Amino acid sequence: MSEDRKGSSRRDFLKLASTAAPAAAVATMAGTDDAEAAVEGGTATGYRKTEHVKKYLDSARF
Amino acid sequence: MTKAQQASRGDIAEEDVLRADLYDLLSALLARPPSRTLIDQVSTLEGDSSALGQGVGALSRVARAATGQAVEREFNQLFIGVGRGELLPYASYYMTGFLNEKPLARLRSDMARLSISRAENVYEPEDNIASLAEMMGGLIRGRFGQPADLKTQKDFFATHLGPWAGHFFTDLEGAKGSVFYAPVGAIGRAFMEIEREAFRMGG
Repeated sequence: MSEDRKGSSRRDFLKLASTAAPAAAVATMAGTDDAEAAVEGGTATGYRKTEHVKKYLDSARF
Repeated sequence: MTKAQQASRGDIAEEDVLRADLYDLLSALLARPPSRTLIDQVSTLEGDSSALGQGVGALSRVARAATGQAVEREFNQLFIGVGRGELLPYASYYMTGFLNEKPLARLRSDMARLSISRAENVYEPEDNIASLAEMMGGLIRGRFGQPADLKTQKDFFATHLGPWAGHFFTDLEGAKGSVFYAPVGAIGRAFMEIEREAFRMGG
């Protein structure tokens, strides 16, 4: 079936392409933790989501 | 990856796990200044001689030399800035020249259809690159329910990332303030090309 052939060439292509960076998963776990931690907002270093939002709002005002 | 690991990741194919990992990595790096932990973990990555692999290798090298403070300063200069950052990483801005235009409206309606809702305490418009990468990763992995089928992934990519993400990553790679983020741009640009090519092949 042509659907299958298409599917497998896509998979083969992605397998080849994605072996370029096989360890990316390591960093992903940290990313997930960060995502949960980040919602708390401001820390001692100041710039967090709130500042991001503020600057965004400034830039949205034409 | 063993069968057991694959099953624990929601029974999606190995190459899809790698795609979701890359989307999640880009999202983690672009949502906020990366934590020391994330910088350290990125510094252990290795890549081969492909465009994507070279980007990953370059990121790993700059991460080894980077201080959290310098990366945070760079992040703020690129995306927040005084007045505004060097780049505006929003689909609407890249596709129309203005923020909060039709692409954002279309994204919101697609998010509702796909049962994706934004966290209550996040106020940034949903069409920023970090959120879109997180959504692609989540669709592939099945974080919003069942893993999304190929057609759903393809439509979402073609509508919300395909038209502009490559341009954004190219801009990021070449931005004045980019040191740590230059290879992030290179990785994103190479990955978007891979995704575009793969979607063209199947489904």
